[in-house]
Amino acid sequence: MTNPLLYIDHISKSFGAVRALQEITFGVNYAEIVALVGDNGAGKSTLVKIISGALTPDSGKLWLEGREMHFRRPADAIREGIETVYQHLALIEELDVADNIYLGREIVSGGLLGKLVGWLDRPRMRHLTKQAISQLHIKIPAPNRSVRRLSGGQRQAVAIGRAITWGHKLLILDEPTAALGVEETEQVLLTIEKLRDEQGLSMIVVSHNMQDVYRIADRVVVLRQGRHVATLNKCETTPQEIVAYITGAKSKVQLA
Amino acid sequence: MAEVASVHSKALDGTAIRQAISQLLVRYGIVLVLVVLVAGMTILSPLLRDGQQLFLTPRNLIQVTLQASINMILAVGMTFVITSGGIDLSIGSIVALCGVLSAMAMRDLDIGPWAGFALALLIGAACGFINGLLITQLRLPPFIVTLGTLGIFRGAALIISDGRSVYGFDRSFQEIFSARLPISADLELPVAVLIAAVIGTLAWVVLTKTRFGKYTVAIGGSEETTRLAGVPVQRYKLGIYTLCGLLAGVAGALLLARLRSGDPTFGTGFELNAIAATVMGGTSLSGGSGTILGTLVGSLIISVVQNAMNLFNVQSYWQQLIVGAVILFAVILDQWRRRQSR
Repeated sequence: MTNPLLYIDHISKSFGAVRALQEITFGVNYAEIVALVGDNGAGKSTLVKIISGALTPDSGKLWLEGREMHFRRPADAIREGIETVYQHLALIEELDVADNIYLGREIVSGGLLGKLVGWLDRPRMRHLTKQAISQLHIKIPAPNRSVRRLSGGQRQAVAIGRAITWGHKLLILDEPTAALGVEETEQVLLTIEKLRDEQGLSMIVVSHNMQDVYRIADRVVVLRQGRHVATLNKCETTPQEIVAYITGAKSKVQLA
Repeated sequence: MAEVASVHSKALDGTAIRQAISQLLVRYGIVLVLVVLVAGMTILSPLLRDGQQLFLTPRNLIQVTLQASINMILAVGMTFVITSGGIDLSIGSIVALCGVLSAMAMRDLDIGPWAGFALALLIGAACGFINGLLITQLRLPPFIVTLGTLGIFRGAALIISDGRSVYGFDRSFQEIFSARLPISADLELPVAVLIAAVIGTLAWVVLTKTRFGKYTVAIGGSEETTRLAGVPVQRYKLGIYTLCGLLAGVAGALLLARLRSGDPTFGTGFELNAIAATVMGGTSLSGGSGTILGTLVGSLIISVVQNAMNLFNVQSYWQQLIVGAVILFAVILDQWRRRQSR
C-alpha cells in the first residue's frame, strides 16, 4: 500500500485533566475529501489545530507523504503546504482583501527598501490577487476592498481563495458553510468539489451539516468525546448512520 | 443622448463628491475640531485682550507646537501600542528614568551630549523591551504589566537620584537639544518640533507602508488570526513595545534639555495625555485601526487648549478640568460622527 498524503498516527492531547484527543488514527489520501464530524467538544478543533501546527500533540505522530512532521508553529505547517481556514479566525476585518490573502507572506519591494524596512509592494500583491482569483471558480470582490464591508459568503470566498493560493497539498476547512445562505453554501460546495476533481487537492472538512458532509465527503471520520469512533465510506453509509455515531447511539468501531 | 449621459454622469459625480466628503469627515473629522479651536482663539484673543492678537502670531504658534512636541512623540509610540490592541502606562516613568540616568551619566561620567542623548534612547528602548518581554513571555495583559513597570521605573528613578533633581551636566546638551533653528529674521524653529515632525512622518510611513505597520494593525484586529497565518506575533509585539519605550527615551532627553535638569518626578501623568491624543485622533482603543495624522492633531488640540488658557490667565486648577472636558468632548463628537456615517 502506498503512503497516504497525510497520516495521523495515534495522536493524543490533554488540557490539564481533560483528555481532548485519545489515540486518534486515520489517513487522508490524495484528491480525497475527508469530513471530520462530531458533537461539540468531540475534539475536532483540537485535532485541526494540531494538523495545522497551532497546537503540538502530547503523543503520536503526524506523517505527510511518508515523512514525519514536527510542527511547532502555524508557519511550519504552512511551509509544508497545509492551509487552514478557521471559522472565526480566517480574516482580519481591518485589512483589505489583498492584505488578507498575503498576510504572513507579504511581497516587499526589491532592493534595500524592501529588505531593510519591509516596504510592502501593495500594487504587485493586488495585481497577483486579481490574477490568482480569476483562476478560481469563486467570485471575490476587488483586492482593495475592506473585508469589513464583505458579506459572509464573500468572506468565505476570500478565506478559501487565500488558502487555495498557498495550500498546494492539503486544505483544512473549518465549518465552511456555517454562516452562509443557501446560494452561497452551494457556491462554496461546488468550489470544494471542483478543487478536488480538477486540481486534485485533498481536504479535511469539519462540519455540523450532515447534508453538506454527505454530499462532498469521500469518507467520514467521526469523533466522540475525544475518541475516534468510526470511519465511514460515503458509499456504504447513510446520514442517519453518521448521526448515530456522533450521538453515541451506535458505537461499533470499524477503523479503516 | 449625449445630454442624458452628461446628466447621468453629473448625478454620479454629485453622490461621489458627497461620499468623498463624508469619507473625508470620517477620517479627518478631528482636524475640524482643531480648525474650529484655532479659528475661535483667533477671534476671541483680541476681544479679551484689548484688540491685541496674542494667539495667531508666528511666535505663539511655534510655542504651541513646542508644547505639543513631547506629547506628540510619546503619543506616536502609544499609537502603535494601542493599534496593536495593547496599552503602555509606563511611558511617563520611562521619561523620568531616562532623564535622570542620562543627566547623571553626563555629569559624573563626563560623557558628551550626543552620548547622553543616545543613552536616553537606549534606556527607553530597554524599558520598552522589558515591558514587551513581560507581556509576550509571561502572557500578561499589557495594562497590568505596564501598571507595574510604571511604579518600578518611577521608583528606580527616585532611588537612583535619591529623590533629587540632577543638575550640573554639560551645558552643551541644552544648547544642542533645546536649540532654536533660525528660519527667518524673527522666527526660530525649536529642535524638539523638528524631531517630532521627523518622527511623525517616519511613523506614518512605517504604519501605512511597511510589514511592521501592517502586522501592528493585524495583531490589533485579531492576534490569534495573525498567529495562525504564520506571523511571529510575539516578536512583533516585543518590537512594538520597544519602539514605544524608545520614543519615550527621545521625549525624556528632549525634556531634560528643555528643563535643564533631570528630575525623578518629571513625566508624571504623561501617559494619560499621550493616550488622550491618540484616542482623540481616532485610533481605536480596542485595536486594529490607528492613524498617526490623527494622533498629531490630537496632541495639537490639547496644546492649543492649554495655550489658550495660559493666554487668558486661567487658574491652573481650572486648566486640568478644562483639558479633561475638551478631551471627552472631542471623543464624544468623534464617536457621534462615526455612527452617523455608518
